[in-house]
Amino acid sequence: MTEQTGQGPEPAHERASATQVGARGPEGLPDEVGAEPGQADRATAGAGRHEAGVAVLPAFDDHHPPAQELIDDCVHCGFCLPTCPTYVLWGEEMDSPRGRIYLMEIGRQGEPLNDEMVRHFDLCLGCMACVTACPSGVQYGKLIEATRQQVERRYPRSRRDRAFRAFVFRLFPYPRRLRVLRGPLRLYQRSRLGALARKAGLLDRLPRRMTAMERLLPTLGRLEPVPEVTPAAGPRRRRVGMLTGCVQRVFFPEVNTATARVLAADGCEVVAPATQGCCGALSLHAGREAEAQAFARAAIETFEAAGVDQVVVNAAGCGSAMKEYGHLLRDDPAFAERAAAFSDRVRDLSELLVELGPVAERHSLPVKVAWHDACHLGHAQGIRAQPRQALGAIPGLEVREIAEAEICCGSAGIYNLVEPEPAAELGDRKAANILATGADLLVTSNPGCLMQLRNALERRGERLAMAHVAEVLDAAVRGADPRTLLDRR
Amino acid sequence: MDRQALIRRLEEIVGPQGVISERNQLRTYECDGLANFRVIPSVVVLPETAGQARDTVRACAEAGVPFVARGSGTGLSGGALPVSDGVLIVLARMRRVLEVDLDNQRAVVEPGVLNLQVTKEVAGDGFYYAPDPSSQQICSIGGNVAENSGGAHCLKYGFTTNHVTGLEVVLPDGELVHLGGGKAPDPPGYDLLGAFVGSEGTLGITTKITLRLLRKPEAVRTLMAAFDGTDQAGDAVSSIIGAGIVPAAIEMMDALAMEAAEAAVHVHYPEGAGAVLIVELDGPEAECEHQFDEVERLCREAGSTTIQIAESDDQRALFWKGRKSAFAAVGRISPDYYVQDGVIPRTALPEVLRRITELADERGLRVANVFHAGDGNLHPLVLYDGEVEGQEERAEELAAEILFTCLEHGGSITGEHGVGFDKKQYLPRQFSAADLDAMQLVRCAFDPEGRSNPGKVFPTPRLCGERPGPRRVHPAEQAGLAEVF
Amino acid sequence: MGEDGGLVQPAPPGSAVDGVPVARVARPGSVSEASQVLAAAAADGLAVAFVGGASKLGLGNPPERADLVVSTERLDQVLEHAAGDLVVRVQGGARLADLQAALAPAGQWLALDPPEPGATVGGVVAANASGPRRLRYGTVRDLIIGITVVLADGTVARAGGKVVKNVAGYDLAKLFCGSLGTLGLVAEATFRLHPLPAAAAVVTLEVDTPERVGAAVAPLLRSTLEPSAVELAWPDRQLPGRLTVVFEGIQPGVEAQAAACAEQLGRVGTAVVAGPGETDAALDSLGVLPFEKADVGVKVTCPPAELPAVLADLRSGPLAWAGPVSAHAGTGVLWMASDASALAERIAEARERLAACGGSLAVVKAPPELKRAVDAWGPAGDALGLMRRVKERFDPDRRLSPGRFVGGI
Repeated sequence: MTEQTGQGPEPAHERASATQVGARGPEGLPDEVGAEPGQADRATAGAGRHEAGVAVLPAFDDHHPPAQELIDDCVHCGFCLPTCPTYVLWGEEMDSPRGRIYLMEIGRQGEPLNDEMVRHFDLCLGCMACVTACPSGVQYGKLIEATRQQVERRYPRSRRDRAFRAFVFRLFPYPRRLRVLRGPLRLYQRSRLGALARKAGLLDRLPRRMTAMERLLPTLGRLEPVPEVTPAAGPRRRRVGMLTGCVQRVFFPEVNTATARVLAADGCEVVAPATQGCCGALSLHAGREAEAQAFARAAIETFEAAGVDQVVVNAAGCGSAMKEYGHLLRDDPAFAERAAAFSDRVRDLSELLVELGPVAERHSLPVKVAWHDACHLGHAQGIRAQPRQALGAIPGLEVREIAEAEICCGSAGIYNLVEPEPAAELGDRKAANILATGADLLVTSNPGCLMQLRNALERRGERLAMAHVAEVLDAAVRGADPRTLLDRR
Repeated sequence: MDRQALIRRLEEIVGPQGVISERNQLRTYECDGLANFRVIPSVVVLPETAGQARDTVRACAEAGVPFVARGSGTGLSGGALPVSDGVLIVLARMRRVLEVDLDNQRAVVEPGVLNLQVTKEVAGDGFYYAPDPSSQQICSIGGNVAENSGGAHCLKYGFTTNHVTGLEVVLPDGELVHLGGGKAPDPPGYDLLGAFVGSEGTLGITTKITLRLLRKPEAVRTLMAAFDGTDQAGDAVSSIIGAGIVPAAIEMMDALAMEAAEAAVHVHYPEGAGAVLIVELDGPEAECEHQFDEVERLCREAGSTTIQIAESDDQRALFWKGRKSAFAAVGRISPDYYVQDGVIPRTALPEVLRRITELADERGLRVANVFHAGDGNLHPLVLYDGEVEGQEERAEELAAEILFTCLEHGGSITGEHGVGFDKKQYLPRQFSAADLDAMQLVRCAFDPEGRSNPGKVFPTPRLCGERPGPRRVHPAEQAGLAEVF
Repeated sequence: MGEDGGLVQPAPPGSAVDGVPVARVARPGSVSEASQVLAAAAADGLAVAFVGGASKLGLGNPPERADLVVSTERLDQVLEHAAGDLVVRVQGGARLADLQAALAPAGQWLALDPPEPGATVGGVVAANASGPRRLRYGTVRDLIIGITVVLADGTVARAGGKVVKNVAGYDLAKLFCGSLGTLGLVAEATFRLHPLPAAAAVVTLEVDTPERVGAAVAPLLRSTLEPSAVELAWPDRQLPGRLTVVFEGIQPGVEAQAAACAEQLGRVGTAVVAGPGETDAALDSLGVLPFEKADVGVKVTCPPAELPAVLADLRSGPLAWAGPVSAHAGTGVLWMASDASALAERIAEARERLAACGGSLAVVKAPPELKRAVDAWGPAGDALGLMRRVKERFDPDRRLSPGRFVGGI
């Protein structure tokens, strides 16, 4: 984008217009650096929150600011707007990809990084629907990541905000810590304490973000870990590593076991190193650069040590993050090449299965399925055909498309924790679209989406059977009764 | 009324979440789809109902402040460029489809409804909304009304003005009026609706639009025909029209445009093609089939080297995706570009294209051509690199020269993008002072104080003459900046 | 008159505009002559009426005063026909029939078929005249792409252009459509053309009740058939009326559509595809207005889906208004013949009943005194003030057919 002039193309002419119509003459706009406290709260429809009342100048420092060449790719056409969840919700320019890129640009030009600017960056879900829609090929993913890193490093969040984020990031990327919570949480759920507390209105007294977290908990069953090595059924075609994840491992362990079985059935030896940790996706998508890099290095080392041909991921957000390791570690001479090579070997589950071609017979599963494209699978990785192909290959299974498929369900990493209101609105919208398909089973490939959607459906008083695509494929391979999928949760 | 007082007044009307006054946020509104011109508005307001829109306009009237209306901000002539101490009224939150009446083939919508949304709403019943600008997935109906937007299918089906049968309008003084008959034809009185459509926001703001819906045709047939060059493609177009066939759309792209579109969409244009025609016919099956065969034959006779016929809806959508993404896709083959918009009589196409190439060569620049070959509406995309010294100026000159060439051949300076801010300097080349004065008569009837999108369309500010009461000499007149009209 | 260059002559005795006697007439032969005449008339404060083929003088209310008739009979040239572009530029005084004859050799036509013989292009524009084929092609406003007008003070102004696609400046051409000479003279107009259809087929259906009309027309409009016209002719309430559906285009297309239409209409009654001789006859009599022999003619408009109910209400409702009727059944326009007393008794209530569905009733033929009593137009909606302001700008001295238009404009 090239700017012709600052305040206006023909100031004298505009001045003439201004006097002509009886308006006051043009005044410089008042300096809005450091808005009145509380004003930012109200100014737009975006979720208000306590502001720090701070403005950082310059907006960005020299360590990977949002790149000018990438910003320049944007031609301001607006094709991204109708597909951006926050624009769909609020209809305001600042909460659209075009507007956010504009904020990055003016930040580079000298406007301060203030509460409003940060708010609009925070409200971005990072769903990358805009990347899919953009005809000019703007790499918005890289831009928002770079921007979030700047914000995390340089913008002083309010104490409350900092505290909550610290809590989230001390918990979720650490499967062992999550595991510790499992016991008490199961007890809490089985004792119906939660339901009672809800009825008594106690939960609503909690900070809304804690309420949001409570609502998202899935019903916890027994925890079966994935074996360290699962041998291939029949001749071994590949040796693949498997990411067991954090939330997935602790809250949806059956998805992991199903994943290993399916891969094995199609001829893969599956290695799930027990020492593996978090892939860093939540940190990466939240702009916590150093933290993400640390997780990435550890993951690369773990899987290199396992000696696998490829690394398979069954959580969309994680797969997307691992495919970015090359970019994330580009500054690190010790890891740059290794990371790039590693990223090339990462595959989403359905991506790999289609790449390999099926071996094991898929038995009939006469089920009507609504397939939900997780954003980090469909938009960020561009994987849309493969899951449909994998599901479509199951005899008797009907895949139904969800209207407005390109719009995020609102889960978006930790978004539904830090921005519960827009997340809930988006969840409601997606829930309505899902119910409209008339499907018996909702299938997706991301634990975050599953939790968000179940929560959204419950809010409407609806329950719909849900499964991870690995579980559906596993059921088809094992010839399981469809009711095992339909009669749950 | 000072700015803070106006902001408070506006917050009373739309609520604090509907008023934007912080600088960074205001700056995201400083331009529309034409990013070359930027003006920061004083305040941005986002009304959610017609009542709020009317009250906002009234507040502006009381404050004596100019206003500019904006839909999705995708216009290409700077029509939504703000005025620096004016209010920018954004209609994006008024996006409800209020009524669908298929028996009368009408839909009533709010101005922020997206063009494509209308079709999506009625597609299940076999209807659609015909005007289809390339930005239809994001452009708003209100914006379409302001610009009288066209699209590829307007050759057969007409423009927005042929598909709007009723408007609720907030006049610049805050009065709410209804133009057009809505569902009933031939309302008594002047066709003010016809004057309003295409007036680019200078006569008021529309808060409710009654649209004509069409039944989806029984059959659609689309082909893509490649030619060695635009001359041959132009010949094909002439013979198709000459044969008495009115296709639903005939679009042409030249080699550069194809290169860009291919990079974005992967249509697989035939290698080495100098030009490609997308011809679409629709209508009752028997007629469509027969005429389609004729079109195919005429294309071959004109020298088409390859003809691809769309075998499925997906394939047809792909042909069109390539065409509709062409503007934005050009960003992939050139750092910067101008989208120009001009019209010529169709028969002048070969000569004008030649002239464009000449002019481009003279300036050492490239021009990719995309256009509605059926109605002579050209979209030359002038490619340049802003980083190279002097290229931007040369590109601007070339874009202007292309417009003058259009006028020389009896055409117009704008076919669909509007005059806006970008082309008002050229309007006097197309129309005489008397012509512009006559248009101003209309403007003065609607907006005597000149506060509705001032500084657009017409080149020199004109006051609207006497107001009731003793005549005062206006300061601008005194300063020689304006003439009493 | 001084500077009229001898263009203004005394009018023949008995000359009148809708019953208002007029003393002078001018017959300019060019736009600049027309400009001279109007400038001279302005200097002398003369009230001016424009006349082409004199077929529309009965429209609207009688003017309050008429001092000068400007006749367009000498502005009758087809100026430019760009067949390759499907565009024609023609002077306002050219007869529509002559224009069509000039276009036909190129296989093209201006898609307007108003029934009044002798109408000029300018008159058609000024009156927004239309015929049955408006269903497919729209009305004047949908076909006009450029205009040259002469304003009340003699200024010559142009809008639009010669190209179909054009959004430069305001669309003044639309403003002048239907303005009935109250904003200025339509001296030239440019239109987009269509190819002359090669073949036609006609399907007819007898209808005995308005409900039957609805049952036939509604599914037709919802189908993918593309008729050029759907006309109802019902001269005598005691006998059935006739619905005529016209298809025009290429032979295989019209045959197939006529057959499909006959099948569809067959569910409602006996539908007949006309044979060759009958087809021509049907096309010739298409759109004939029912009030040739009557004193009074009215034009009723309503949303097309309401037409059957409106017809039933007019005929069998409390109004019991049973004159001969013809209608553009697909568009929502109905013409009815009547007499002076029937009109006077019923018009107010009819207008009120029509207003409920957004319709209107205009008196298009009646003795001038009757029109003065009942107002030819009826209510003009909440934009009337705005219309007055537009009139004030274009004709500040109120000399162009004053009082003829809606709201006494």
